[in-house]
Formats: sequence, structure tokens, C-alpha cells
Amino acid sequence: MKLNKLILNNIEHSYGNSPILDKLCLELIGGEITCLIGESGAGKTTLLRIIAGLEKQSGGEIILGDRVISDHMSFIDTNKREIGLVVQERALFPHLKVIDNICFGLKGKKGYKIERAEYLMNIFRIINYRDSYPHEISSGEQQRVSLARALAPSPKILLMDEPFSSIDRALKFSLRKDTKEILKDEKITSLIVSHDFNDALEVADKLAIIDKGKIAQIGEPRSVVLNPINNQIKKQFLCETGDMLYWKSKIDEDNNK
Amino acid sequence: MRNFFSLSPIFIVAIIFSLPAIFIFLSLAQDFSSNWVHLVDTVLPEYLLNSLKLFIGVSIGVFILGVSTAWIISTCEFRGKKFFSWALILPFAIPPYIMSYAFTGLFDSYGTANDLARFIFQLDPETVLFPSVRNITGAIIVFSFTLYPYVFLISQTSFLNQSRDIFDVSRTLGLSRFKTFFKVALPIARPSIVAALMLVAMEVLSDFGAVEHFAIPTFTSGIFRTWFGLNDLTTAKQLASILFMIFLFLILIEKYSRRKILYTSNSTSNRELVPTPLKGYKEFFAIIICSLPIFIGFFIPFLQLIYWTIFYETSFFSSGFISLITNSLSLAAISSIICLSIATIINYIIRIEKNNFLSFINKIITSGYGIPGIVLALGVLNFFLILDNISNIILTGSLIGLIFAYCVKFYAVTNSSISSGFKKISINLDNVASSLGSPNRRILKSIHLPLLKSSFLIGTLVFMIEVIKELPATLILRPFNFNTLSVSAYNYASDERMIEAAAPSIGIVIACLIPIIILIKLIGKDEIE
Repeated sequence: MKLNKLILNNIEHSYGNSPILDKLCLELIGGEITCLIGESGAGKTTLLRIIAGLEKQSGGEIILGDRVISDHMSFIDTNKREIGLVVQERALFPHLKVIDNICFGLKGKKGYKIERAEYLMNIFRIINYRDSYPHEISSGEQQRVSLARALAPSPKILLMDEPFSSIDRALKFSLRKDTKEILKDEKITSLIVSHDFNDALEVADKLAIIDKGKIAQIGEPRSVVLNPINNQIKKQFLCETGDMLYWKSKIDEDNNK
Repeated sequence: MRNFFSLSPIFIVAIIFSLPAIFIFLSLAQDFSSNWVHLVDTVLPEYLLNSLKLFIGVSIGVFILGVSTAWIISTCEFRGKKFFSWALILPFAIPPYIMSYAFTGLFDSYGTANDLARFIFQLDPETVLFPSVRNITGAIIVFSFTLYPYVFLISQTSFLNQSRDIFDVSRTLGLSRFKTFFKVALPIARPSIVAALMLVAMEVLSDFGAVEHFAIPTFTSGIFRTWFGLNDLTTAKQLASILFMIFLFLILIEKYSRRKILYTSNSTSNRELVPTPLKGYKEFFAIIICSLPIFIGFFIPFLQLIYWTIFYETSFFSSGFISLITNSLSLAAISSIICLSIATIINYIIRIEKNNFLSFINKIITSGYGIPGIVLALGVLNFFLILDNISNIILTGSLIGLIFAYCVKFYAVTNSSISSGFKKISINLDNVASSLGSPNRRILKSIHLPLLKSSFLIGTLVFMIEVIKELPATLILRPFNFNTLSVSAYNYASDERMIEAAAPSIGIVIACLIPIIILIKLIGKDEIE
């Protein structure tokens, strides 16, 4: 299986007169999970939408694998990019059963579609809800369906916008673990947008901090958390926990595990 | 639960409002006359077939017109969008029977359109370019262009409630915008659209004026002919009860669809759709698609009526016309005041009692909206004949019967406005007022009523539109020699005196247009949902 890398070169974008992304550069290495963290309004979701082709950047280029998918000359439409998307609110199709939601993006014979959907439902432990409608299952199960649906067509990369944010704490832990396992098994290059550093520590291979429309720091999650390069980033950790010691003890705890 | 007297208004209204329907159904227990057998053997299958053809044809017509325009307005950005978003509602001001008068005036052999074509192309006086519209196809066109706003409004709300995320995800899963519409947007909106189609079906099947003008035998015209032609009120009521049963079936489908709307619209995301800007030929087509229904459904019939009025110098502002307007407006005003009072009292009792059974009873009272005008008129007539015998006072043929029929039929309109008004008033306001020592009556007078002001206005406006347009019940129940705009337009049109029918028809259109414009302004100010 070919591992797809994604390269963002000097991405610029603005809404009216307010710049959102300012010559942002980022490289996602094939098969790796990268977590992008930043404060509200930092441009995280906009970046995700630009990569998915739901918006066109005002400057810069996006390269997926060996192909330029968007620059000032060319623009490949969303439905032809083979990029999976999981959104915070899950956005399951309310009129379709769980199995039909997962089969939605699959092409080919019915037998293949069902086989692939059932394989993913087994992995995500949602096979019992095969014939349920989205409103009949819990939010954690809905998020599993949403992930399975995005993974079903084997996308080149997977984009996830706050995938664990509206789920209760107990479920969040198991969902992060399962998601990491599946993404690693399927060897899918992934970008998770979040505001929770725990997502990066538990799921990601890399942590990128976005600030003022640029990548301010990138590296292995633990080292970024323990060594913020400036006060602005440090402040983000402190805002979340009130204490840098929290992160140190959390990382020690994870290491001991 | 309070004592019986505090709840009695709801039960009394429920019983009285149900009586016309009960009398209609009781007719099925009476013997079926030879007229009935004759009808079943001869014309009943034709009534059923024609009604079915109209139902299917109009459903397709309003679906195409309503859904396509709603989708364009909800998801696209183009020049004139703001104008189209309210102008597409204008055909609501033209009842199907008025449109049918205008259409026959336009497309008959010597109608305006053929005259114009002969003049422009210098053709023989016998040449007819436009085909006749006095047939089922013509009726389907008339109903589709006057009733599509139901589908437009309801689908538009449904599309706007769908989240942007759902469309985004669908596109990342490989679907184009076009396929996303058919595989995602349309199925999600389906329950809403079905509910709207049922409302349209009820309007079509209860219509009397347009089908009568086009000479299409349907249930309603059959009921009328059986009564006045065969002079057989019992058989007419028996026919009416069958029509009513069809309606009950349609209402059930509508209610079922509304239940489904609850979960299909239960999206977990609330990000609104971002309209796509249209340029070039796409913008041109969007403008054409949105203009067509307004042009055919409003401007053409309106211009035809104005043409008759101006060029044939009909007595537009004669004393007769003024009295028609006065009659229509005063009837609408009196019945709306009665209905608003009843709706306020009932919804207030439901609010303070918090009792599901009372809400259920209120729903029964609102179900009068589903009774076709002609069926209701027969039921009211039956009820008043009994009252005449009991009280020795002749109420039949008085304005009381007509006002009562309007109240039964259109109570749902005022109830919906008042009940949503009450829901918007936080129960905490009542609690705080109570804790400050205010008795319930004072809370109603000083808090609820002032806050319900816009609900009263909206309820009155929609109620007035409905009453002014109403034809069959008015025609049957009005006192002798008492005319309204709708009756006068019908009388002239049924004598083929189309030019004289223009003045009352324009009166109806303008009388409906004013409340519609006020409502659109209110919607623009976000004062109503």
C-alpha cells in the first residue's frame, strides 16, 4: 500500500480583510498521524476545509502524493480528491441506516460494499447497530460510524475536525485508542484538528501548533508539550490545565504505562 | 386539575366544532337512495378518476416548481435572490378559481393571448394559436402555479435547516453537488415535502371554483350537483363523507410525515449552509427558473384582470364593489376576533394546566382545517337545521352559520399562531409574576397579552387571507342576496361574464396581497419564524 504524504506550501487565506492563514507550511508524512492544535480562530478548521477542497486558498499550493491538487492554476474538486473528512458534529445522514451511511462513499458491487462496511463495523464495534438510524444510537457510537464512513473508501488522507470533543470522558479514552489502532492498521495519513492536548498525546505521532495563521512549532507531541518554544504556546498549555506540572506528570504516567 | 368550569370552554368548543363533521358521518347510517346507486353506476368512478388525475398531476407540478426554486434560493447566491425569495410567495394571493378565470380569459379562442397573437402575426380571425385550457391539463397547470408556494416554503425551511457539514461530508465521499442534492438533500427533506404535498392535495380535492369553471367533474362539483341538481341533500352528504374520509387519510399521512421530520431534521450540526455564488449561464438559469412561477402564477393572471378592469371600464369603484369589500372584510374580521379569543383562552388554559389531554382536545378542534369547505358547509347546514327546530329561531341562512363555518375551518390558523406565541413566553415569567403576588388573570392581562401582540397580528392576517379566498362554504351558507368578493367573482364567472368578474377578483387578490406583504415584512424583521 502506498503511503500518501501531504505538503502544504505557503498557504494563504483571508475572509474579507481579516487574514486567517499566513504563508502556512506543513508536511504530513505518509502513514503518520499529525495533530494540529491552536486557539479558537487560529485557522484550524479553515485549513482543513482548504485541504478537503471545500474552500480555495488565496495563495500557495497543496500537493497530495505526487500530484498538485490546488494552486493558482489548478483546483481539483472535493469529490475527486479522495480525502476523508470527519467533522466534530459527525454529520451522519439522518435518513440512512448505519450500514448505508458507511456504504455511502463506496463504489463497486453491493456485495463488496456490504463486506467492507461490515469489516469496519466489526473493527469499530458497531455491528449491533447495523440497521439502526443515527438518531437511535449514542453520540460515541455516532462518532464511530462517522469514522467508519470516512475510512470505508480508503481515502488517501483522513482529516478529522475535533473528532473527540463532544463525547463524554469515559468514551473519549476508548475512542482515541481505537482510532489510533485503526489508522495505524490501515496506514492512513491523518490530520486531526483539536484544541485538546490530550488528543495529541494519546493519538498523534506529531503535534503542530498553529498560531496567527502559521505553524509555530511542530514535533513529537511530548517534546512539544514539555518544551514550548515561546510564551504564547506555553500560555495555551497553562490555559488548559493551569499548571505545566500537570503535563509532566501525565507524560510520566504514560511512560510508566 | 382545576374544577370542571375552568376547563369547560375547551370541551364546549370541541363538541360544537365537531358537530358538523359528526352530522356528515351520520349520513352514512341513513339509507342509500336510488340517486346514490345511480351515481355509483354512472359518475362516481369519473369523479374518483378525475380527482386522482388532478392529485397526481398537481403533485408533480408543485414538486418541480416548489422544490427547484426552494433549492436554488436556499443554496445559491445570485442577482435578484432577495426579490425572488419573497416574490415566489406572491401566487398565494391568487386563489385557483381566480387564476382559472384569468387563464380562460387569456387562452380561449378569442382570449387575450390569441387576439394578441393574431394581431402581431396578422393571422385570420379563425386561427387559434394557444390551445384551450378548459381541461384537466389546464386545471393541473392552474393548481400547480397557485399552490406551489406551500411546497416552496416548507422545502426551503427544510433545506435551510440541513447542516453544511452533511453536504461537505457527502462531497468528500465522492458525490458531485448535483448528486448530493438527489442523494442527501432531497431524501432528508422528503418528509417535509410529503407533508406539503398533502396540504396541496387537500386544497386540490376541496376546490370547487376552478374545477367548476373548467367543467371537470370531481367530488366537490359532484356534491354540489347532487344537492342542487338532484335536490338530494342526503346523498350529497354521503358523497361528502367519502371525500372527508379521503381527507382523513391524507391528514394521517401528513401527520406521519411530520413525525419523521423530527428525526430527519435532528442534525447534530448547526452550521448553516453557505450559498454558492452563481455566475454566467448558471446565474441566468437560476433567474429564469425563479421568474417563471412568479410570472405565470402571479403577474400574468393579475395583468389579465387589470386589463379587463381598465380596458372594459368595469365599475371598479361602484357602491356594489365597496359593499362586496366591506362584506368580505367584516366577515373576516368578526370571525378572526372570535377565533383569536377562543385560541387565546384555550392555549392559556393549556399553559396553566400543563395537561396533555387538553392539548389533545385542542388538536381535535384544529382538525376542522382538514374538512373541505363544501363538506363543512353541508355539516353546518345540517346542524343549524336541527338548531332551528329546537330553538324555533331561524338561524339557517344567517351570517351566524357562515361565521361558525369559518371559525371551524380556520381556527387552526389562529391557534397555531397563538400557541407558538405562548411557547415563546418563558414559563419563568409566569413564575416570577406569581411570586410577586399576581393572580393568573393579571399575568394573562399584563404579561401574556402584550407579548402575544405579533402572534395576534399574524393570526389575524393569515386568517383574513383564508376567509377572503374561501368560496364553497361562503356560496352555500351566505344569507340570501348577501355577496362577498369570492361569491361575486364566482357568480359572474359561472355566467361567463369574465369581464365583470375581474373587479371582485382583483379585490380578492389585493385584499390577500396586503396581508401577505405585511407577513413578508415581518418575516424579514425576524419577528416570526
